[in-house]
Amino acid sequence: MNEIDHEIIFKYTGYRRADFSVCLGCKICASVCTVNDLELNVNPQELLMKLFVGEIIEGDHPLVRYCTSCYRCASACPWQIRIPEVVRALKESLGIEARFEKAFKKCINIWGRVYEPFVVVMAAPDLLKGGYIKYMPKWMEYAGFHLPHKVKRVSSSKTSKGLNPTEEGRS
Amino acid sequence: MEYGYYPGCSLTGSAKRLDRGVRQVCKKLGHSLTEIPDWNCCGALEYGNRNELLSISGENLTKAQAMCKEIVVPCPACYKNLKDADSDKSFNILSPLELLNAENLSQIEQKRDLKDKVFFPYYGCLLMRPEGSAIKNKNIMEDTISAFGGDVDGEKMKDRCCGGNQLFLNKWVTEKLSTLILGKSKGTVVVFCPFCHMAMKTFAVGRKVIYLTDLLLYVMGENKSL
Ligand code: SF4
Ligand code: SF4
Repeated sequence: MNEIDHEIIFKYTGYRRADFSVCLGCKICASVCTVNDLELNVNPQELLMKLFVGEIIEGDHPLVRYCTSCYRCASACPWQIRIPEVVRALKESLGIEARFEKAFKKCINIWGRVYEPFVVVMAAPDLLKGGYIKYMPKWMEYAGFHLPHKVKRVSSSKTSKGLNPTEEGRS
Repeated sequence: MEYGYYPGCSLTGSAKRLDRGVRQVCKKLGHSLTEIPDWNCCGALEYGNRNELLSISGENLTKAQAMCKEIVVPCPACYKNLKDADSDKSFNILSPLELLNAENLSQIEQKRDLKDKVFFPYYGCLLMRPEGSAIKNKNIMEDTISAFGGDVDGEKMKDRCCGGNQLFLNKWVTEKLSTLILGKSKGTVVVFCPFCHMAMKTFAVGRKVIYLTDLLLYVMGENKSL
């Protein structure tokens, strides 16, 4: 498993290491976390502390794998720490990307928009293996073959509205 | 009122029904929607680099700058990302749910009512959280259903997570979370998020899953059945 670069997590999320020192250890985040509905007993605060003290986080940590980005933790936290974004940064830093996510981003890079048929075709091996075929009858209403009608690219390297995530992260 | 409109990728793909519904309902309510030219994907929940996510979403705001100050954004993920990207709050970014209120609901020419029907208004995550980017009236779906005589159920489950964004990564996660929500609610599931729609529809057994726009169009007499 790749090791995480702690500094990259701070860069990606716009947080500084010291920002996590405000965490009260109240574990409200843990008490509301959706992943606990899966009976996995996770504690988002423990992840933040690992980042704070520079400990290793494994890519197979249940939160890294199963966080649903529901923002229950972030909205319950007294400091509104954006934990799901920390988790997404962890995934990005660890290079954990399923075929589906890769296809999604590739689509945006090429066309600037997501074209679902393209994503489905690219992610087909996972869909076939993953037992999704049985849902196809239910998914008929979602089907529709549309081709990209205009080619456009997103210049994601520059911030178009002069956004500064580092400052945003501290506000 | 005139608004800019940002459909986002899913409303031009798997959630075309929501797109048609929003356009039709807005027209009925006297709102005109003009699509932002050349819009691009908002980044959804796929980017681990916040800077990158905000710049992708911000690009849409740059494109909207010349045409409007108010943008209607149906998909909850797009809605949140665009709000986050609008750091100086130069736009009023609205969910179509925020265009509904007691006054315009009472003015709807009602062709059918919802008497003796039970509905489970399900909002999911991003319309409700985090507070800074959530919709203001967190009972608007209940208000709408009640305004036309329908019964509401499942209050406690309305903002739980269906796990929609894990559907193509760890299907069992979505199955478990959606089933939990469905098990503690009754009636037709009414959603507004394309991903909630897919997650709920995939795992709902013997329950209908519709968009709020389907319900409104039924009441208005535009849709024959629910
Ligand atoms: S966003 Fe992730 S970490 Fe936070 S409560 Fe939801 S599942 Fe748990
Ligand atoms: S809710 Fe916030 S302050 Fe409390 S333990 Fe979790 S991260 Fe720390």
